[in-house]
Amino acid sequence: MSVSSSTQALEYLQGLPLQTHRKLYEAPATVLAVFRCMLPHLAKTLVMAMLYMPTAFPDAHLKTWFKPGANRQKEQAVFVLAQLHILDTAKQDDGTRSHSLSPGFKRSLRHALEGSGKDGSFGVSATEEEARGERRVSVRYLDEYARAQWESILFYMVGGAAGVDVKSDIGVGTKKLLQAGALVQIWQSQPRITKEGFTFVLQETNAQVWNLLIVYLKMAGDLGMNETDVLSFLFMLGSLELGQAYSVSTLSPTQLQMLDDLSAMGIVYRSSKDARVFYPTRLATTLTSESGGLNTTGGTSNNANASNKGFIIIETNYRLYAYTDSLIQIAIISLFCKLQHRFPNLISGKLTKESVQQAVKQGITSEQIIAYLTTYAHPQMQKNKTFIPPTVMDQIRLWEYEGERVETENGYLMREFNSQAEYNDVKKYADACGVLRWSSDEKRMFFLSHVEQVSAYLKSKKGPR
Amino acid sequence: MVKAIRGTLVRCDASIKAMLIDIDSKNNNEYIIEDLDEEHILVKETKVTELKGRLHNMMRERLKEPESSDSE
Repeated sequence: MSVSSSTQALEYLQGLPLQTHRKLYEAPATVLAVFRCMLPHLAKTLVMAMLYMPTAFPDAHLKTWFKPGANRQKEQAVFVLAQLHILDTAKQDDGTRSHSLSPGFKRSLRHALEGSGKDGSFGVSATEEEARGERRVSVRYLDEYARAQWESILFYMVGGAAGVDVKSDIGVGTKKLLQAGALVQIWQSQPRITKEGFTFVLQETNAQVWNLLIVYLKMAGDLGMNETDVLSFLFMLGSLELGQAYSVSTLSPTQLQMLDDLSAMGIVYRSSKDARVFYPTRLATTLTSESGGLNTTGGTSNNANASNKGFIIIETNYRLYAYTDSLIQIAIISLFCKLQHRFPNLISGKLTKESVQQAVKQGITSEQIIAYLTTYAHPQMQKNKTFIPPTVMDQIRLWEYEGERVETENGYLMREFNSQAEYNDVKKYADACGVLRWSSDEKRMFFLSHVEQVSAYLKSKKGPR
Repeated sequence: MVKAIRGTLVRCDASIKAMLIDIDSKNNNEYIIEDLDEEHILVKETKVTELKGRLHNMMRERLKEPESSDSE
């Protein structure tokens, strides 16, 4: 799983309240998934070390595990764990802090590791009787199904902007979902892709799936679904095995409702609406793992198991060649590149100032373009140190900078500190958390990208006194 | 008492900043919350897009684009 996709999911998880976390952590599958792919590596190490600790662990001891210079990393890891309510920090009578894993999380993670505890959280395989009358479905078929469904979603989004006329038949629910996530807008009854939508299509598939699922989660409440149910089902899907049939008999009503929506997106496959079994596709089983997701680049590529294969060549004269016949990829490339020729398996074009600035105007950043080109760089290009020629990268950035002369970042300005000492202290803490963006010592104010951690720190400082 | 003010940090050249402040003063100061330093200003989050649009228009009026050579 890429950095972007796991951070998205992590940010969403961090925003959930304590009760939701408690309920989530009842399922071993959820806990394992959170541990496997949501936590930063340092936080994993802490969890592992404390998993079988019988008593609470004093903060002073924890400190000795870290090098003196690594306080920043330690605070960050502890903060993530505290926000997810995995780590309970209690104050002892003598004023020192001590940490312990929250009991529910600890129990479930132990179950997951040892294979003990109640069944069901990792999915129940369909019995023979249930599977009777169901056609056996091969992995390859599932991959094709997932790709077709997912591509039709992407196509629905980029089709209009790229000037390709598409009659994409995606479900009403999925369309609503895309609108709710502000990924497309309906304009004169035609879908129009938004800035967020561009960011979305340039991501790799796994990140896209998470992105859409998070929108889905936010909508779940309005659809009368139980958010916890939805989340734990998603995490369960991540632990299922590809090509295996699973029974629907143990699912809650919410989860049954979800199955319909998920099969529309190609995340699970059901032969009919009232089939008694379902198959997770590769989109589902790679949700919480690091292994390669579904490949949506090559329309005719037979081997979906191969990790995303590069197909784009860029020369130092800004010419771009892409070995693809996938209409989606062509549509995406045409968003920022002036296409010139199309052959059966190849398109060629040129990155020009106009084409890049056009893209920037629509909300694509130069970093996104470069990231996209790097991700799909042809193996031949990947032999170079930087996959894309440095001149081209710089030029794309410069083009963007020409049209866009300001950099912006949302956040909070902190001011009116009582004393220089307080200012210095809070600023140092903010810097340690990695949220400090700008500061002025003479004006005694600074700018933060995220305020939650710092305001919690301010409160805790004020509290005890 | 420490105060936190929500907003967007805008980082730009001094020349661009001068233009932004010009736009702001001509529009009843409805964009900028605080002038931070030479290259930073704090702008109302809801107004950033609008401000950028106005900056674009102003630049188009004042700056001349060099002829782009688009040789094939």
